[in-house]
Amino acid sequence: MGDITILDALIISIIGFAIVFVVLIILMGVIYLMGLAADKGHVITDKLPKFGNPFKKKKEEGSANEEESAPAPLAPGTCGELTLVRTEDRDAAMIMAIVADTLGTPLNQLRFISIRRVDDAEVK
Amino acid sequence: MNFSLTSQLIGAAGSNVDYGETFSFLWESTGFFNLQWGNVVMIIIACFFLLLAIKFKFEPLLLVGIAFGMLLSNLPAAESDWIFHPEWWTVQDVDYINVLQHGGLIDILYIGVKTSVYPCLIFLGVGAMTDFEPLLSNPKSLILGAAAQMGIYVAFFLAICFGFTGPEAASIGIVGGADGPTAIWLAKALAPHMLAAIAIAAYSYMALIPVIQPPLMRLMTTKKERAIVMKPTRKVTKAEKILFPIIIIIATCLFLPSVAPLLGCLMLGNLLRECGVTARLSDTAQNALMNIVTICLSVSVGATAHFSTFLNTKTLLIIVLGLVAFAFATVGGLGFGKILCWLSKGKINPLIGSAGVSAVPMAARVSNLEGLRAKPGNYLLMHAMGPNVAGVIGSAVAAGFLMAVFGGGA
Repeated sequence: MGDITILDALIISIIGFAIVFVVLIILMGVIYLMGLAADKGHVITDKLPKFGNPFKKKKEEGSANEEESAPAPLAPGTCGELTLVRTEDRDAAMIMAIVADTLGTPLNQLRFISIRRVDDAEVK
Repeated sequence: MNFSLTSQLIGAAGSNVDYGETFSFLWESTGFFNLQWGNVVMIIIACFFLLLAIKFKFEPLLLVGIAFGMLLSNLPAAESDWIFHPEWWTVQDVDYINVLQHGGLIDILYIGVKTSVYPCLIFLGVGAMTDFEPLLSNPKSLILGAAAQMGIYVAFFLAICFGFTGPEAASIGIVGGADGPTAIWLAKALAPHMLAAIAIAAYSYMALIPVIQPPLMRLMTTKKERAIVMKPTRKVTKAEKILFPIIIIIATCLFLPSVAPLLGCLMLGNLLRECGVTARLSDTAQNALMNIVTICLSVSVGATAHFSTFLNTKTLLIIVLGLVAFAFATVGGLGFGKILCWLSKGKINPLIGSAGVSAVPMAARVSNLEGLRAKPGNYLLMHAMGPNVAGVIGSAVAAGFLMAVFGGGA
């Protein structure tokens, strides 16, 4: 298709815009269905242990107890411990990210020993 | 310049070499001999773009390459020394044997643009870098991504009114998709003679999103609407993330097979990222491959801005229509954002609609910033990322449609 009239351009614009909408609405439906299937999948897997292997069930219970007592696994690149004094985890994470960004050094190459909140009175 | 006197003098001394002719050839091959006013103008424009990229950090990763490519192809030289031959690429059937035998450096690099390899590889990297979780957790984002494609069709219609042909108008309109690789992919197929102007317009406006969008956002929304705090979205499972690229490419290509190269690469990159067993490939797509292709693409696209094809009134019109496309894309997204806000009884902040113009993640950042300005602590970034990545899919679908209508198998 080469030269087209203004009317053709208007029609093509409307059809094109409508097609983008139709395709993306269909994709939206597909994603909703996927989400629904994922939720249903959880419901089904939650029910599965009732019919599962009894040995497997015991093992899972045992491992669940172990998980409760064991500390959370360390993130890759973790070294030592970080002491937080009057500082929230979220704030500490932000501070570490800002320091890494400012220094231009990857976070796993930096070692933070402690992060302490300093009050205005202490600064003075 | 006449070298005959030199030749006679040296010849009289007993030399067999015609030094006059040698000096004459040497002089004719210099840049000074071949300098035209167009070269000077384009070198100034290239230096201005370099200034924008380096000093003001306007999309520097792309603009430095584009500006330098522009500089290289506009350096004055004899035609036999040109590193890029624009006239070879505007014909219907490119003579690739001639390109490989006699082409300059940029001619060889440009094969990647002409065959769509670069835009598709860029999409592979974009897919590997993009987290579709915000879209999966809030599928309504796709409507906003579709609405923001309005700019493409408004600019297309206006371009036809200004006398451009259908394929040219389609290539200009796609600037409104705010997606560089998609714009290049379509323009190289439909209007290769306008590729440079379109690519430069697309990337320049993407860099100017923080300037273009906020006034429109404030104009179209009330402060109360901008201050709406959205609820956190649901958690997405790993299985959903893995299935998403596979299902999307099948579903989309059943409707628009022409979009397969772009969307296929986007979804392949995303699958490499999410499947969990191809970490090395995902890393390569996100970093090494993406950087190499960006260099090749930006330099070769910049080189197409040769003064013989770039310096005309059409280029100015393309730049203006590109701005119109961007503005209407923002208006479309915001308009549908307001409709969704009304339908959801004030649960959706209309600001996230403007992020539907692609330009990941710049447009989402602008939505976030405007939300924070209206109400401190109102972080919209994750909510705006949904329409933002939906916009990438939307602009690819729009490009696929235009290619199907005007491409004719290009």
